[in-house]
Amino acid sequence: MSDDADTRANGNGAETDADGAETDGGTASQSDAAEDLAELEQYPFEWDEPANNDLAPGERDSVSQRAEKYDDRKLVTGQAKYTADYEERYPDLAYAAVVRSEIPHGRVTDIDASAAEAMDGVEAVLTPDSDAVPDAKYTSAGQSYPEPSPWDMHVLTEHVRYVGDPVAAIAAEDAETARAAADAVEVRYEEYDYVTDPEAAFDADAPQLFGDEEVENEIVGHDYDRNRMANIEGELGDPESAFEGDDVHVHETEWVTIRQSHANVEKHTSLAYRNEDDRHVLVTSTQVPNHTRRQLAHLFDIPIRDIRVKKPRVGGGFGGKQAMVVEPIPLALSLATDRPVLYEATREEEFYAMRSRHPMKVKAKTAVTDDGDIEAIDIYALSNTGAYGSHGMTVAGNVGSKPLPLYSKVPNVHFEADIVHTNTPQTGAMRGYGAPQGTLALEGHLDEVARDLDLDPVEFRQRHYMEVGDLDEIAGMMGGEGAKRRIRSCGLDECIERGKEAIGWDAIEQPDEDHLHRGVGMALSAQGTGVAGDELGAAQLMMNEDGSFHLQVGGVDIGTGADTAFLQIAAEVLGCDEDQIVVRSSDTDVTPFDYGAYASSTTYISGMAVKKAAEDAKERILEWGARMLDEPVADLDTGDGAVYSEATGDSVTLEDIGYEAAYGDEEREHILGKGTHCTEESPPPFAAQFVDVTVDEETGEFDVHKLAVAVDCGVAINPGMAEGQVEGANHMSYELAVSEGITLDDQGRAEVSDFDEYHLPSATETPPIESILVETHEPTGPFGAKSVAEVPTNTVPPALSNAVRDAVGVRIQEMPITAAKIREKLDER
Amino acid sequence: MDIELTINGETTTVEAGSEQDLATVLRQHGHIDVKCGCDGGTCGASKVFVDGDVRMACGMAATEAEGSDVQTVASLGTQDDLHPVQQAFVDNFAVQCGFCIPGMIVQATALLDENPDPTEREVREALDDNVCRCTGYQKPVEAVLDAAGRMREEGVAADGGRPIGGEPADDTAMGKPADAGGCCGGGCDE
Ligand code: FES
Ligand code: FES
Repeated sequence: MSDDADTRANGNGAETDADGAETDGGTASQSDAAEDLAELEQYPFEWDEPANNDLAPGERDSVSQRAEKYDDRKLVTGQAKYTADYEERYPDLAYAAVVRSEIPHGRVTDIDASAAEAMDGVEAVLTPDSDAVPDAKYTSAGQSYPEPSPWDMHVLTEHVRYVGDPVAAIAAEDAETARAAADAVEVRYEEYDYVTDPEAAFDADAPQLFGDEEVENEIVGHDYDRNRMANIEGELGDPESAFEGDDVHVHETEWVTIRQSHANVEKHTSLAYRNEDDRHVLVTSTQVPNHTRRQLAHLFDIPIRDIRVKKPRVGGGFGGKQAMVVEPIPLALSLATDRPVLYEATREEEFYAMRSRHPMKVKAKTAVTDDGDIEAIDIYALSNTGAYGSHGMTVAGNVGSKPLPLYSKVPNVHFEADIVHTNTPQTGAMRGYGAPQGTLALEGHLDEVARDLDLDPVEFRQRHYMEVGDLDEIAGMMGGEGAKRRIRSCGLDECIERGKEAIGWDAIEQPDEDHLHRGVGMALSAQGTGVAGDELGAAQLMMNEDGSFHLQVGGVDIGTGADTAFLQIAAEVLGCDEDQIVVRSSDTDVTPFDYGAYASSTTYISGMAVKKAAEDAKERILEWGARMLDEPVADLDTGDGAVYSEATGDSVTLEDIGYEAAYGDEEREHILGKGTHCTEESPPPFAAQFVDVTVDEETGEFDVHKLAVAVDCGVAINPGMAEGQVEGANHMSYELAVSEGITLDDQGRAEVSDFDEYHLPSATETPPIESILVETHEPTGPFGAKSVAEVPTNTVPPALSNAVRDAVGVRIQEMPITAAKIREKLDER
Repeated sequence: MDIELTINGETTTVEAGSEQDLATVLRQHGHIDVKCGCDGGTCGASKVFVDGDVRMACGMAATEAEGSDVQTVASLGTQDDLHPVQQAFVDNFAVQCGFCIPGMIVQATALLDENPDPTEREVREALDDNVCRCTGYQKPVEAVLDAAGRMREEGVAADGGRPIGGEPADDTAMGKPADAGGCCGGGCDE
């Protein structure tokens, strides 16, 4: 990672083009025109799209049908296997437990494991010095390579930096013994001063979490003397002058977000063993099998080829399983004991020792003319990355680079973030990835500005937001993740129209009671589809002699339905039923390489790889069909499980082709297709959120009647699954708006230990969610698809804040929105 | 100690430590359809029927189940022959990662046994201690209402029945086939 002062936030070490074009105050000049032309060449609007990628709804056989999710039958009967369900296969399985720091900051001076070691059934107690425990520094981030996160962690650590840092690990005959042994380990510490508040941590006199040489692979803008792991900044135009203009209104607002738990119902679970070939196998609940393999190989100094990472069914990830949070523990224990070892985190550990969403304070500032033209936007984020820095810089970057491009017509933009360490639990990637924090600030802010200047909040946004054909420079202004991009699909207008209709925007009826007030609020959001220029997916398709297929794909289904989407994409190309294809995904020994399930990339990147693999196989199938039908390939196509001739109407079944190819007299061939996909593109999906709320002005109590969210995800490969993604994301977003998240005591210790203490909105507490899919066609995506699962995570906090403001005139800027906060503001009036 | 109990119709003797909870013991005996998502009694994933009552198996000592009749989600239907509640969960896209689903289906089945025609509110109340992180509860609630309708009508149409709680959404723009499974397309807000 470059540490050059000129290099701003960047995942890959490339220079940024943050300088952008100088604006000339709005008068077009010739050089502008020339520049536009050059940019049109570099970022063309026209996309060389194969004809089969753009199918009218009536032409689609598999794609955009509500095909049954292929694993649902085994899921509803309880027969599907998650990691912990493999335990019965390993009779000599040992169980792991971890001893974790009980103090917020200090150094381990002594570990007395004698009592634990003396317990019946205890197989091993590992401490930071043990041979099987790597002493290399690493990051658990689970990102591509080189990693844009600092190497600041150890598998087991002597310098503990939060209540929860792993200090020792146990393997025992059964889980109860392992936990009892963990409790019996006595750890002595030299205690250090600690700091839990990010603003205090940023102070020069604050206790310092990282000393010199405690971090490798440092990130741009780091200043560990002030606990800063990174600083990033990007700029477009000349925001400074724009803010000084005397014809503009300058507004500033500040917003605070919660520390949210991923709360995946399947806990982090990982099983490691050495197989008969002396290779290391991990069955693990991960979003990133290939990255995990690479990270383990580096950490344990084992060749990549000798590690196999298999992902079974996964019970939810949401970013929390992008991190390699638990895998090194069972691997180290299996090395030490020569037995298979299963580590299943406890729910308590999920809350205090796994990962969470970065809590942030975000400031928004705009310069707006009397006429309602936004001249400049400035966003500043202070992100609390907790004890370690995984995803710290990249998540903070997305606070700006995801929401700001929505308003691509704004000429002057500035974004900056400081990412600081505190002695609090670790943060990491989480669905939305910085966009929820930025979207709250931007969409809440714009609503406030619109009210202040008496502008219609929707129309005010509409004047500035993206359109098809725009060149989005904002996504690229910080370099690295995100680059300049041409917008080729945008359904924002229709999202707004249909969302308004769903919520009854223009016809809200006030309750009869005088103290009850009903209001509506809205917010918009954009995300990306994969990390621009930093993705790779691959797939392989094999034809069987009966005309069926095996699809091997690196893409990772963590409960989203990705495997089903892959089947639909392949079936559409091959012209067969989905049930003629057997999918096998996410096993590093067997399936082609894939970056994994994050950044909303799976359908777009891995799905396109599947499409290419299917097309490759189809080419061979048509070749064989041509031979068997004695007609030119040009006249042939596949459909209904056969190759047919458009010229003569003759056909030959895929089964006949399969047998002929495998057992034919003269020539034989195993029909194989391969596809690999990477791209510089990352088209934004869009969401328009609407919230309907009634607030009691006497008590501040509020009742959210409904969430309506319209999403442009391009062509939904499976609308039923896509709606499910939208609803689940909106529920997570609702939680961001109304729940406390993981609260900490003043030592940074999580106060939440199980679901009864963590306020995930339950079935009765969750309002009905109306998900609306607005179809556009994204030419760069498989059959016109772009991402769907993250963008609706971003929108409820601002939309609810805006709705409460609409109902009773008070503004809540610090999440969660509670009755007490509303009442306090009402009392202040 | 050994305890005797009936699991999904089969009477067996299982070994259980005095401290062991029923979920752990069931899982050790191969009933992996009992899921554990929390540290005990707070997520609902481990719900099973014990003598006809829904219990969180993790929250109950295995010894307490001595002599009782335990039914897990696997007793309801098979992959080829799903129970109407299971079928409705499939048809309504109510399943994402599926980890919470066995417990949720057990609970939903108990609700419909007692109340064959629940309101949306009653369904939400029944599922209130089933934690689901994936779905936002929208489609599971729709699925349970759909299942209720199917079970009342019994002769469910092969196409998976009709949408619940409103007119079918206009899905033509999405290329939804005429025979797609019952789903409201997000139109259920009653
Ligand atoms: S594991 Fe039994 S309720 Fe959570
Ligand atoms: S479907 Fe994943 S937790 Fe409910």
